[in-house]
Amino acid sequence: MVNELKVDPKLVEEFLNINKNIFEAPKLVRAPDEINMDMTPYDVAYSEDKVRLLHFRPTTERQIKTPLVIVYALINRYHILDIHPQKSWVRNLLNQGVDVYLVDWGTPTNADRYLGFDDYVNGYIDNCVDFVSKETGEEKVSIQGYCTGGTLATVYAALHPNRLRTLTLTAPVIDGQKDTTVVGNLAKHIDVDKLVDTIGNMPPEFMYFVFSVLKPFEQGLEKYVNFFKNIHDNDYVENFIRVEKWLSDTPPIPGELFRQWIKDVYQENLLIQSKMYVGGKQVSLKNINMPLFTQVAVADHLVSPESSMPIHYAVSSEDKSLQIYTTGHVGMIASSFSQKRVLPEFGQWLKERSNK
Amino acid sequence: MQASDSKKAQQYYKHVSLFWTDLLYLMMSKPYALAAAGPMRKFGTNMKKLTTELIDSNDDLVEFNSKLTEYYKQLTDTWAEAQKQFSKKIPEIPNDAEHLEASKRIWIDIFENYFTTLFDSPKFAENFGKLVASELELAKHWNSMISELLDNANLPTKDDINEIYKELHSLKKRIVRIEKDVNHGTVKRNGK
Repeated sequence: MVNELKVDPKLVEEFLNINKNIFEAPKLVRAPDEINMDMTPYDVAYSEDKVRLLHFRPTTERQIKTPLVIVYALINRYHILDIHPQKSWVRNLLNQGVDVYLVDWGTPTNADRYLGFDDYVNGYIDNCVDFVSKETGEEKVSIQGYCTGGTLATVYAALHPNRLRTLTLTAPVIDGQKDTTVVGNLAKHIDVDKLVDTIGNMPPEFMYFVFSVLKPFEQGLEKYVNFFKNIHDNDYVENFIRVEKWLSDTPPIPGELFRQWIKDVYQENLLIQSKMYVGGKQVSLKNINMPLFTQVAVADHLVSPESSMPIHYAVSSEDKSLQIYTTGHVGMIASSFSQKRVLPEFGQWLKERSNK
Repeated sequence: MQASDSKKAQQYYKHVSLFWTDLLYLMMSKPYALAAAGPMRKFGTNMKKLTTELIDSNDDLVEFNSKLTEYYKQLTDTWAEAQKQFSKKIPEIPNDAEHLEASKRIWIDIFENYFTTLFDSPKFAENFGKLVASELELAKHWNSMISELLDNANLPTKDDINEIYKELHSLKKRIVRIEKDVNHGTVKRNGK
């Protein structure tokens, strides 16, 4: 008796095609290490310790005088804001005539383990704002904070409201108790004192674990199958490798900053209650009185919109907007959607509130 | 009952090890001191600390193993549940190329859903928090042993270096404050 195995020939063909693509891949695709992540030209305007303030070169005539300082997140690097010419947050703003500065936090080492919120907010951010203000002659600047950078920007705005013309928060972590993501769930249960006291800085490997539990099957499996299926599509492949390289490169977070972050924002939820202290001063969200633009994404699986939106109601600003986009955490800043929807709205909002 | 017996056995093992280490140390310390007259003498006298760290790490290793087992149990149980759900669905889908994509999508959706529910659950986060904490306890023992060895070799330990980092951090802050005072509230550092 012969057992016949019935397999659809199309299935076999697809399997063989993927196999062929896997073998061809090294000839068609650049290795992540060979890719330079810097796209839009910039100058390092100011640096302090490991922090650099990047000033992007204009692509068109400036439409507004008030400069924009982007405070990037503490996780991964700023390259996601300039990941691809057609999806670049920075380039889009430059094309709209905005003068763009960006804070690159660099790579903290063991020697930086005692850096805390005070150093980041009252030190680095304040010094960057100070520098931009002097260089441009504008007394006040606009700040945009993304993700954890949004939290830092919020604390800065509460402690130094007179330095800011406008504040834009893109997926900021504000109300840790309302965060319904896996990140929030893990953050609430971690013994952060033990981690910092024993290891020092928050190791990147810990973040890689957190990334791995976010969407394990879609992100860990399907996207690689799709990559090999689309290996002949240059644009797709280039974008894929750049995003992958960005994802796999996150610097450590200074120990004391991480400790206060987890405790005050996630575990004790002090920030939204205006009970957080930074540099000996109370962070009162009511001090935020400048125009505020909050951008959240409904499908954000890193910072849930419920965690970001409370800032809209906690500040004393009379001019404030809350925009909810139908995209995800990264989709809001580096996608075709963000180019078509998010950035034009942001640019227009900035123009209406800046010095011309 | 079993857990308490194993705890007792562990305590007994710890006691016996300590008894012999202490006794041997007392018996040997004087002849050893006589023989180790140079820089290695410190190592000879402090060797007991290494043994104690090793014994103490046993308890934490047990805790770590139990949390790690629970971690894998949660993953495998969830996998089994998701697979069961998928197996119920799969006979409804024809086995050909046209439906392969649909089957894959269903598989991913089911597994994603089950695992996301697990990762979102307090039971996962609690165990994970304890797992990391017990791993850190092991790291502490490891650090202590390394520090002991470094100290005996007359090299700076992690605590010594941390003390310097702390001092550096505080000095940098003072310098920035003084610079700001001198420059009337602004910093002038490394600007172009």
